[in-house]
This record gives sequence, C-alpha cells and structure tokens, in this order.
Amino acid sequence: MDPAIGQLILQDRKIAYAITDRHLAVVEVGGAMSIVSDDPGAWLGRLLPELVPELVGSEDALADVLAGRLPCLELSWASREPAGSGATYLTMVDLPYRDQQGRAAGIIHMVQDVTDAGLMVRQLAQNRNELRLLRDRLAQQNLELAAANAELRRLDEIKSTFISVAAHELRTPLAPLRGYLEVLLDEEIGHLNDEQREYLAVVQESARRLVALASNLLDVTRIEAGRVELVLRPTDLLALVETVLAEYGPQLEARSQHLTLCASPDLPPALCDEMRALQIIGNLLSNASKYTPQGGAIRVSLALAEEEGFLQVSLADSGVGVPAEDQPNLFTPFFRARSAILTRAGGAGLGLSIARSLVEQHGGRIWFASEPGQGSTFHVTFPIADRPVPSVPA
Amino acid sequence: MMTTISKKVCLLGDFAVGKTSLVRRFVYDLFSDKYISTIGVKVSRKTVVVPRTHDLVELAMMLWDLGGSEEFDQMRASYLRGASGAVLVCDLTRPDTLDSFLEYADELLRVCPGARLILAANKCDLTGQQRLAPAEVEAVAGELNAPFYVTSARIGEEVEALFRHLGRLLVE
Repeated sequence: MDPAIGQLILQDRKIAYAITDRHLAVVEVGGAMSIVSDDPGAWLGRLLPELVPELVGSEDALADVLAGRLPCLELSWASREPAGSGATYLTMVDLPYRDQQGRAAGIIHMVQDVTDAGLMVRQLAQNRNELRLLRDRLAQQNLELAAANAELRRLDEIKSTFISVAAHELRTPLAPLRGYLEVLLDEEIGHLNDEQREYLAVVQESARRLVALASNLLDVTRIEAGRVELVLRPTDLLALVETVLAEYGPQLEARSQHLTLCASPDLPPALCDEMRALQIIGNLLSNASKYTPQGGAIRVSLALAEEEGFLQVSLADSGVGVPAEDQPNLFTPFFRARSAILTRAGGAGLGLSIARSLVEQHGGRIWFASEPGQGSTFHVTFPIADRPVPSVPA
Repeated sequence: MMTTISKKVCLLGDFAVGKTSLVRRFVYDLFSDKYISTIGVKVSRKTVVVPRTHDLVELAMMLWDLGGSEEFDQMRASYLRGASGAVLVCDLTRPDTLDSFLEYADELLRVCPGARLILAANKCDLTGQQRLAPAEVEAVAGELNAPFYVTSARIGEEVEALFRHLGRLLVE
C-alpha cells in the first residue's frame, strides 16, 4: 500500500503513532500527531514516558511488552484538556515493534482521539450520577420526614390524652354544680329574689357552656382516636330536624331571629345515628344563630340531594358570612374565623370540625358557600336508608 | 543537587466525592461548584519538594484522577498499574462512600503491593449536612494502617497537607 494512503487513513481516523527503539527513545512519528503534540518533530530522540504523562510509572510494564511477557499495554479514556479547548479523550495502546527477523526492536505507541464518544459517555455518566445523588437526597429527606412524622404523632397522642383527661376532669365537678343550681333555681331550698335568679341564670348558662365545651373536647379526642361508633338506623330526618329546631327555639326567639323550615314532601328515611345527626344539625343551627344579627333570618330546607342516594339538609343564614381567607380553614379544629372574633361569638372552634368528621363517618358530605356580609349556607348530606323507619310500638 | 523523582498517585473513591476537586485545588488552587463526572482517567502533574531522611527530594507527583462510576471498575486495574500511592476519598455527607474503601485498597495492593495509602474525608465545609463522623473514617484508616485527613476542596482545608504527607511517604 502507498504510505501516503496509510497516512490519509490515520489522519481520517485521528490515529497517531510513535515508534521507539528498545530504550524507549522515539525514532519515528506519524499519523494525526496534532492530537497529542503541537510539535511532533520534537518527539524524535526523546524517551516515550517523558512525552506521555500517562506512561509515567509504566516503565516496568513497557519492559514486559518488549520482553514478550505482556502482549500490550492499553489505556482507555485518557482525558486531556489542551490549553484553550475543552476535554479530549484518547485511547492508547503500546505494542511490541518487531524487526524483519521477528525480534522486538521497540514499542509502537498508538493513540486514537475518541473525544466524540468520550463526551457522550461522560454525559451519560453525569446524568446517571446526578440522578443517584438526587435519589440519595430524596431517601434522606424521606427518612427525616418519617422521623418528624413519628415525633408529631407522639406529640399528637400526648395532646389527645391531655385533652381527654382535662375534659373528663372538667365535667366531673360540673355535674354537682349544675344539680345544685337547678335545686336553687327551682326554689327547693328557699325563695329567690329577681336579682338572685338573674345571677344564678348567668351561672347556669356558663355551666352549660362549660359542659358543651368538655363534650366537644371529648368528641374531638374520640374522633381522632377512631373511637366514635355510629348506630345507624333508618331515621325520619324531617322529624329529627324539627326536634333540633324546637330545642334551639328559645335561643332564636331570644335573638328575635326568624326561622323557616321548608321540606320536600314524601322524603325517604335517612340512614344515620340519631344522636349524632342531632348533634351535627344542632351545631350548624347554633352557628347560624350565633353569626346572624338580632332580627335576622335563618332558613332550613330538606330535600333529595343532587347526588343520588342522599338527602340534603341546608341551613342558610343572613349573618356576617365567612371572609374568603378564612374559608379553607373553617373545618380545622380550634380554628376561629375573624368573623367569630369580631362578633364575639362564643365557642372553641370545634363544632364544624366535629360535624365534618361525623358527616364523613356517615358517608355523607358537608360544605358551605359564603359571601362576607351576605350570610352563609351550610349543606350536609346523609345516605338514604333502603328500609322504612321502624314503627314505634304503641 | 536535589534528586528529582516521579511517582504515580491514584485518586480512588465513589462518584462525586470530590476527587477531581481535590486535584484541582492542589495543582491549580482552584475550585468549582459545578459537578462534572470524570470518565476514565485524567493525569495532572505537580512537583513538590519533600524531606527524606538526610536530604530533600523534588517529587513530581503524577496524579491519576480516576472516574468513580462503576462502569470503569473493569478498567481500574489497568489504571492502577505502576502506582506508588493512592488517596482514598470519601464524602462526609454520604456515609456509603466509606463502605468501598477496603475494596479499593484491596484492588490497589493486589496490582501494586508496595503502594502507600492515605485517606481523605472530604467536604468538611458542609457542616450541616455531615452524616459521617471523622471517627468512622479514622477506624477504617486504622484498619488500613494509613493516615487520614478531614479535607475540603472547596475551602482548601488540609488539601496541601494531605498530598505533602503522601509525598513524604512515597520518598521514604
């Protein structure tokens, strides 16, 4: 083959070579020498390991190649950064150079520029390594989150236990307190003048609120612990709503609030726990009254829900409404909306949270729509019972 | 006249522990936060003067910065050939990077039985993220009978001392 053609092939494949004598002094260079040197002529006569930093320390191995103890010396992906350019990648092979008698006369040092492939391999390695680092960081963050969650659960249990104990301890002394108040107010142990009766009525109302608060606190802890068990029965929901309205009638009358009830005819029974359903609707009605000014209106309606298989109770008031920024938190335990603070409405912020938990335990939904200054409407649904309400024995 | 000798030193460790950054800090006194994977090997050279028993030696350290990804595991033996010493590097923020030290040391000493070792617990500047106690690195160093340094390529902490210590070991 014409040596010029050989040189062309080497240039095209970006392969350079250097041939040494047995003492590793370079005697010939050729091919694409620009990939390893700006001045290939300066290689002649110099020792190969002085010219190729990757061969420092490999003198013994080169001697083994010369002696035939090692077939060749290979080095893949040697990276260099020539001044003013990016990384280049080289593959190097050192083979014995044999004379016409077949004796090893020196070393052929061959270098190929494999930068294009090297950059791709580097990018792949980079992507994979960055993903691994990300995965490790995520795993670490998960561990930290799990530990934080465990700590939060522990603290939550402590809080629930504390609330439960506190609520019990609150209720215990309230029982005799309310009993003796009733005895006094019934004038069983003596006549009361108007002032005494008025003061005792205030004490009785405060005791009633304390009992309600303790009951709510106990409900919250029971709900959180999953200890509320519903006794589901087919229930006449209209009768149940009427019971609630009768119970809260005096409170509404005292505030001169106008109440209307509107119910669709022939509604099927709801499947609910009667006591808990009374509590849910009672909480909603109590709130409607608290946030509606004196002389305002409250409308209660009962109908089939849009969602098939459910009855819907809606309570619309003409109260102050819920500010938009408070709406997402309205069902959060202990949350007090700004409107509650401004209107000085009583309560610990537990009623709606308890109502939502109980409604959801029934399989129903609770939601509301409100415009500040325009009032609020709360809706609650209960599943329809597939059996009629059991008749009460005469 | 001062004696000049060349020695090959390999940097070994898992990916992204800071091998390239340690070399850049030692050779060029530079640091970059950008992580670029090393594939294969990159050879750098730095000459230091180190004391020998009765004289000083000019030591040309040929620093072989080896890719830490496992796809180069097969080639590592060819890279280690002729090494006189090695720096084993782990990352104080990633405890698992210490786990492979014994394997790296084993492989190096199989290829180069007389090679000297030194350990670097790197990234000590990331104080809030450290999950590896220097005492754990010290325990492994004890097993390998090698000195160890707590380093930071970012701020240069103990980098020069680490390589100079290894230099002294290499000319003993």
